[in-house]
Amino acid sequence: MKCEELLQYLSDYIDRELSDALTEEAQEHLATCQNCRVVLDSTQQTIFLFREQGKRTIPAQNRARLFGQLQEAFQRSKPV
Amino acid sequence: METETGHHQDEQLLLAALRQREAQAFATLFELYSDKIYRLALSLLKEEAAAEGVVQDAFLRLIERLDQFEGRSGLGTWLYRIAYNLSVDRLRQRRPEVILDDEGEDGRLPAPMHVVDWTQWPEQLLSDAEVTAELDKAIAALPEKFRVVFVLREVEGLSTEETAQITGLSLSATKVRLHRARLFLREQLTQSLVLLGSEKKPYEM
Repeated sequence: MKCEELLQYLSDYIDRELSDALTEEAQEHLATCQNCRVVLDSTQQTIFLFREQGKRTIPAQNRARLFGQLQEAFQRSKPV
Repeated sequence: METETGHHQDEQLLLAALRQREAQAFATLFELYSDKIYRLALSLLKEEAAAEGVVQDAFLRLIERLDQFEGRSGLGTWLYRIAYNLSVDRLRQRRPEVILDDEGEDGRLPAPMHVVDWTQWPEQLLSDAEVTAELDKAIAALPEKFRVVFVLREVEGLSTEETAQITGLSLSATKVRLHRARLFLREQLTQSLVLLGSEKKPYEM
């Protein structure tokens, strides 16, 4: 496998969606190619950081106000 | 761990309780999904106020259509879809030229430009706040069509199938976009972290 193909398959490799044969080829390439290993590691670390720190939430005060309004609309919507 | 069937049954129970207009059921629904659809809207619109507006309108629309909902998709997927469509509408009002649904070939993958291993850096080198600021900058630079897929798959942890259902993309386009988003963010983050790190430790990089 060449660097370009490794790059093409990188997400499938990370998600373990490659066939056994391609996984083996990718691993053989990674064992000898420092650059591709760095790209793999830094991609995985990028994903990890976003999973850990990407969770923005609605500011608490706005959230409470929004919930109050919606709960009221929900109750009013009861079919008669 | 929650099973698929268990999750499905929970949703059916929740839907039944919502149709009875049980206050607790709405509180549960809001608790489960408000922040998730907020992040989805934020990924497309970038502005907090606009994203909150989408959350409000999405729940109002769900309430309005609760009794017509046929339950072919899950309750969560339905709400996500409503929020996605509302976000896209607002984005188009702002920028009519924005294209989110083309599935055409996006050309060759760009070769990695910045290949530096920053994954083993000691934690003291950069503070959490500094890293978070760089994450925000990196994702803000990612075009919307990639950003929304990345957020649904990585931040919300949805499957490729669910992400495709919400965005109306094919499975293969969803995968391609996730792949490109990951590589783009890796590139951005490597570039900015290395720059930041070299300012702090100029002689050890």
